[in-house]
Amino acid sequence: MKKEELFARIEKAIIEGLKSEAVDLAREAVRAKLDLTEVIEKGYVPGIQKVGDLWEKGDYFLPELITSAECMKAAMAVFQPELDKANIKTKTKGKVVIGTVEGDIHDIGKNLVASMLSANGFDVVDLGADVKLDKFIEKAEESEADFICLSALLTTTMVGQRTLIERLKQKNLGGKFKVLVGGAPANQKWADEIGADGYAENAMLAVKAAKRLMGA
Amino acid sequence: MSMTILELIKKRRVLLDGGFGTELIQRGFPQGACPETWNVERPEVVKEIHKSYFDAGSDAVLTNSFGGSAIKLASHGQDKRCYELNRAAAIIANEVKPEGGFVGGSIGPTGKFLQPQGEFTEPEFEESFAEQASGLADGEVDFLLIETQYDLREALCALRAARKVAAVPVFVTMTYNRVPRGFFTLMGNSVAQCLEQLGKEGVPAVGANCTLDSSDMADLVKSMRETTRLPLIAQANAGKPSLSSQGEVSYSQGLEDYLRHIPKIIENGANVVGGCCGTNPDYIRRMAVIVKKNG
Repeated sequence: MKKEELFARIEKAIIEGLKSEAVDLAREAVRAKLDLTEVIEKGYVPGIQKVGDLWEKGDYFLPELITSAECMKAAMAVFQPELDKANIKTKTKGKVVIGTVEGDIHDIGKNLVASMLSANGFDVVDLGADVKLDKFIEKAEESEADFICLSALLTTTMVGQRTLIERLKQKNLGGKFKVLVGGAPANQKWADEIGADGYAENAMLAVKAAKRLMGA
Repeated sequence: MSMTILELIKKRRVLLDGGFGTELIQRGFPQGACPETWNVERPEVVKEIHKSYFDAGSDAVLTNSFGGSAIKLASHGQDKRCYELNRAAAIIANEVKPEGGFVGGSIGPTGKFLQPQGEFTEPEFEESFAEQASGLADGEVDFLLIETQYDLREALCALRAARKVAAVPVFVTMTYNRVPRGFFTLMGNSVAQCLEQLGKEGVPAVGANCTLDSSDMADLVKSMRETTRLPLIAQANAGKPSLSSQGEVSYSQGLEDYLRHIPKIIENGANVVGGCCGTNPDYIRRMAVIVKKNG
C-alpha cells in the first residue's frame, strides 16, 4: 500500500469509527517501518479533526465522538511501545490536568473535552469530578502541566474556577499554568472577569483553544 | 372522585412548575450537597417551594427527586437512601397539594452512559430507576415524569422500570439541542425517533424540557407537533445562566422575553407547559395568566 493510500484509509477509519480497522492499519504502519509520527500526523490526526468538524456542524453526536476517540486511543496504544523502543518522543501538544470542580459531580462535558484533547495529541491527566481545588494545583505541579482545565455545570460551583485562579496567584503560580474554563454557565465574559487564559463552549473549541495557547 | 391528570390534560391546558434548584439555593441549600436529602432533613423548605408554585397557579408540581435514581445518588454517596428519599419527596409534596392539584414524581437522568459509551448496562439502569419509582409511587405521586433525558435508550430504561413498579401514568420529556439539521439529543436521537418510539411504547404524554430557551422551544414544539398527536409537554429554560463577578446569577432571557414566546409554544401545540432552569414562581404566576387567556 502506498503511504498516501494508507493515510486516506486511516483517516476514513477514524471518521467512521472503525476500531479494528484503525488498529490494523496502525499495525501495518509499524510492520512497514514507516515514520510513525508522520502516520499519526497525516492519517490519524486529520481523521479526528474531521470528526470534530462533523460534530460542530451537528452531523455527529456524542456516540460518534466517543467512538472515534476510542479508535484513536486504540491506535496510539499500538504505536506507543514502538515509539518508546525507538526512543522517539511523540511531540505532545501539551500536558493537561482536567477535572470538574469540587461540589460538582457533572462530568459528561469534562469527559468529552478530556477525550478530544487526548485524541488530538495532548497528554491528559483526568482527575474526575468533584475535585478539590488544591488537588488541581498539586497535580499540575507534580506532572509539570501546561494547562489546568476546569469544568463546572452549576452556577454555584463555577465560582470554584475563580477561586482556583486566585489561589494560583497566592501561591505565586500565576502564569505558570494556563487555565481553561468551561461548562454550561461559563462564557468568555466570565473567563475574562476571573482572569482565565481561555474559555471553550464545547470539546472541539477546547482543543482549538488549547492549541492556540500552546502557539501551535 | 376528582379528575386524573390525563383527564385534565384532555380538558384544558395544564400548567406545571418552574425551576427548583435555584429556589433551594436561595433558601440556604449548600453548594455541592445532595438536593434529595432535604426531603428528609429540611422538608419544610422543600414544601415551601412546592407551595409557592401551587400558589402561583401550577396545576401540578414535580417532586424534589430529579437526581433521585440510585446511580445518581451514588455520586453523593446516598444511594442506600434511594427509596427513602424518593418516598419522602412524594409525601411532602402531597402535604401541600391543594384540592384539584397534582404531584408528579420527577425522574431525571443518571448522569452516566450506557455501554458502549459508558460502563452501565440497561438492567443496571432499570434497577436504579425502579428503586426510585417505587419510592415515588409509595409516596403516592399522581404521575411520573421522566425528564431531561438526553439518551432515548436511557429514557426507555426508566419507562420500563417505572411501569414495573408504579400504576400511575408515566410521561417522558427529552432534552434537545438545536443544530443546523434540526433538534437532536446529546446522543443524536431525532425528534421523530424519540416521539415514534415513545408513542409505540404507549406513553400518554411526551415532550421536551431544559436546554432551549422559550423561543427555540416554540420551534421545537412545532416540530414535535408535526410528528405526534399525543399531548405535548414543553418546559423551556430562561436562556443560559451567567454569573456576574459579584456572584449574582442571571439568565439570558429574563422574564419578559421568556413570556413573549409562551403563547407561541401553546399555539404550536403544547398541552402542558411549565418552566425549567432560570424560572421561578414569578414566571409561573405570569404564565398562569397566559395559559388562561389561551385556553
